[in-house]
Amino acid sequence: MNKFKISLLTSALLASSAAFAQITAITNAKVHTLTDAGTLEGATVVIEDGTITAINPTSIEADVTIDAQGRVLTPGFIGSMNQLGLVEVSAVAGSRDAGDDKADVDFDASPAFNPRSSLIPYGRKGGITQNVVMPHGGKSIFKGLAFVVDLSGEFDSVLKTRTALLVDMDASSTGSRAMKYKTLAEKLEGQQQKLSDKGKKDDKKAAKKPSQEEQVLTAVLKGEMPVVVGVERASDILEVLKVKEQFGLNLVLWGVNDAVLVKEEIAKANVPVVISAVSNLPTSFSSLHADLTNAGELERAGVKVLLSGFAFEGAHNLYQLRFDAGIAVAHGMSYEGALKAVSSNIADVFDLDGGKIASGQRADLVLWSADPFEFTTTLDKLWINGEEVSTESRHDKLRDRYTTDSDMPRAYTK
Amino acid sequence: MQKFKPTAIVLALSTVLLGCQDKGPQKEKVTIDKNPYPSTYQPHSSGSTLITNATVLTGTGELLEDTDVLLKDGKISQVGKDLSAQADVTIDAQGKWVTPGIIDVHSHLGAYPSPSVESHADGNEITKPNTAQVWVEHSVWPQDPGFNRAREGGITTLQILPGSANLFGGRSVTLKNVPSPTMQGMKFPDAPYGLKMACGENPKRVYGGKGVAPYTRMGNMAGYRAAWAEASEYKQAWEQYDAAYAAGLNPDAPKRDIRLDTLRGVLDGEILIHNHCYKAEEMAMMIDLSKEFNYHSGTFHHGIEAYKVADLLAENGNCAALWPDWWGFKMEAYDMVPENVAIVDAVKNSCAVVHSDSDTTIQRLNHEAAKIMNTANQAGFSLKEQDAIKWITYNAAKSLGIEEKTGSVKQGKQADIVIWDRNPFSVYSKAETVYIDGAKVYDRFDEKYQAVSDFMLGQR
Repeated sequence: MNKFKISLLTSALLASSAAFAQITAITNAKVHTLTDAGTLEGATVVIEDGTITAINPTSIEADVTIDAQGRVLTPGFIGSMNQLGLVEVSAVAGSRDAGDDKADVDFDASPAFNPRSSLIPYGRKGGITQNVVMPHGGKSIFKGLAFVVDLSGEFDSVLKTRTALLVDMDASSTGSRAMKYKTLAEKLEGQQQKLSDKGKKDDKKAAKKPSQEEQVLTAVLKGEMPVVVGVERASDILEVLKVKEQFGLNLVLWGVNDAVLVKEEIAKANVPVVISAVSNLPTSFSSLHADLTNAGELERAGVKVLLSGFAFEGAHNLYQLRFDAGIAVAHGMSYEGALKAVSSNIADVFDLDGGKIASGQRADLVLWSADPFEFTTTLDKLWINGEEVSTESRHDKLRDRYTTDSDMPRAYTK
Repeated sequence: MQKFKPTAIVLALSTVLLGCQDKGPQKEKVTIDKNPYPSTYQPHSSGSTLITNATVLTGTGELLEDTDVLLKDGKISQVGKDLSAQADVTIDAQGKWVTPGIIDVHSHLGAYPSPSVESHADGNEITKPNTAQVWVEHSVWPQDPGFNRAREGGITTLQILPGSANLFGGRSVTLKNVPSPTMQGMKFPDAPYGLKMACGENPKRVYGGKGVAPYTRMGNMAGYRAAWAEASEYKQAWEQYDAAYAAGLNPDAPKRDIRLDTLRGVLDGEILIHNHCYKAEEMAMMIDLSKEFNYHSGTFHHGIEAYKVADLLAENGNCAALWPDWWGFKMEAYDMVPENVAIVDAVKNSCAVVHSDSDTTIQRLNHEAAKIMNTANQAGFSLKEQDAIKWITYNAAKSLGIEEKTGSVKQGKQADIVIWDRNPFSVYSKAETVYIDGAKVYDRFDEKYQAVSDFMLGQR
């Protein structure tokens, strides 16, 4: 957060309960730390200048103290695999920036991100504080580069770019998936060769600044940049695991409705998976094992599970993520595992600051009336980078307009 | 439609017919078979079942605690406390909840089945703006694995609709969610047919994109009006024929038109309108359109803006079948409010329904209703489980014209019942046992009652 903005806002914020740069203490909370510290009852969390500075300190010196009265504090949840801020209305071409026919390995959509999208305040209603935005890509199997945003709605919401490379290896309506493996291998081998040549000789060509694409591929080959591979069928998952082995990729599997068939292999390869908790139909011949029990079964096999929204819900209904996590629990995932699957696991895999409640972590926090997965639970307070943020969206304005009595036509109710 | 009105017209027209068709013995009367694909549904064998000590949501606004429900001869035989009845099977439902079978008024299961491959896209006859001649029941693949998943979520009845590319998409069919190798074996006996209509962006995008009418919303309206005008003439022609024949004359029957048969069915009040229509101003126009041509405008599906015209819908007896939260996929879905259903429901004589239009959320219509109830309560409504359950049971049945048969836990009704492991409005809730006409069709703990589609057999 920019410092100058704070001074501009100070007078307004002083009136609020959680002024930025003040020390805020949330006391008497049930805190899901999602660290080794586990879940703490009646705990205190202190935040200052965007950061969690202490948990259960011996003494509290805070400008603002919020008594949670036993309510539940979690890290902000983290969305992923959607096009938040890149698509306002799916059917309106001029509001879509997530894809391009020419998009390839180095497609970075982050400059097109709109932090003022109406989807963002609505997403906050679900306790979502950060999101890993995925491009749609174009004709290439390389769909482009993920980036990370927070849901503050501020113009400096993009926290990190070039976060991961997205590759689609699932079946297509034309061609053969075998061709995709050829394309992937050739691209990686080509870059491997360039790097090896560069090590050997020091001619002008080798000294030339690498292209954007070469930079991405190098980061991928060094394991510095995760590669998210969209794939469903068990045999394809095994094939992708081979590619990981061959090139030393930092692999993340996405979709993987057949993953339970090869869960041991996935666990052994130490590869995290991103799945939808509510996928349970054989939508294609590649996903005959989609089932509500998959999240729990993968978790028990030792696979790190990340939950993303169902395809249709996408970014518009990001708020639904907490209910999807509840459904995963109802069908066998551990409660703690489900919490991690929508926060700390995502932070770990994409190397984000957030997703845990611990000293030194970014202060993205949510105070819930009770169990965050349950429908009856309300979101009482939300902090993004230590700042309390509203969860009101234009949907609330519309509801109020049409439920407020007035002598005037509705258009005058604002 | 008034029955006396045609006879008045006939009087005038029969004089015209008299000149040429009054001679000779009468030919055989031409009649239209209105039910050429009749239901062959038979309830599965069932003994009697007594469910005891349950929390019962009746579907008609009541929550009954510690209540017993007796299912006998396919019907709900008794509902009350400490029933003394003997039954073949007694289920202790202490801590569990009982609701009517869940009804989805908007499904494409079978017509857009899983797997969703090219060969399976049978739900949308995108060839002309008016395809009232197609019947979606002729597209239903009963082996869609989605039917089984929906049953596991408590869905006992569902309306299958054709898609929304066309102004008139075709006829719907209401099915009982029982496994059967034929569509007829699932067909809900005596449920009225529906006619799918669609407003707004879809027809104009599909046909406007081809450079043919409708290109605009005004083109949509022109298309509806032309069709209803033609249907009115068709109806009149048949009524003249029937009346002249009844008068002992020997008239020629009008030329049969399958497309107009469906529209005429609406004008005769036999077929119910199910109108994909998102926007407030369009719903209002569709109501006026129905008045212009003297039929009822039925249920508005996907009415994202229903909350803006909640009074109008109630005044005109329209049901509104709505999502809790889908939005933003097109402009007509931009003004969503998650309290939509609750705002519509709050009006006297309203008929708010929660629908799915999804092979995924159909499995959790209880959760869909729960989202609305809780969001609305946070906005100042005071809704309870007994209110919200109506949206997916009784009101849904009313929208489909089957509320006399199913949709509530009431003596004499079909025993379409779900036992839930807890409050069905909890995110952790699951349907444990599902009954259709008193027969157990799903049991979460007994594989014997877990149907597997032919398609999935041997695949896993």
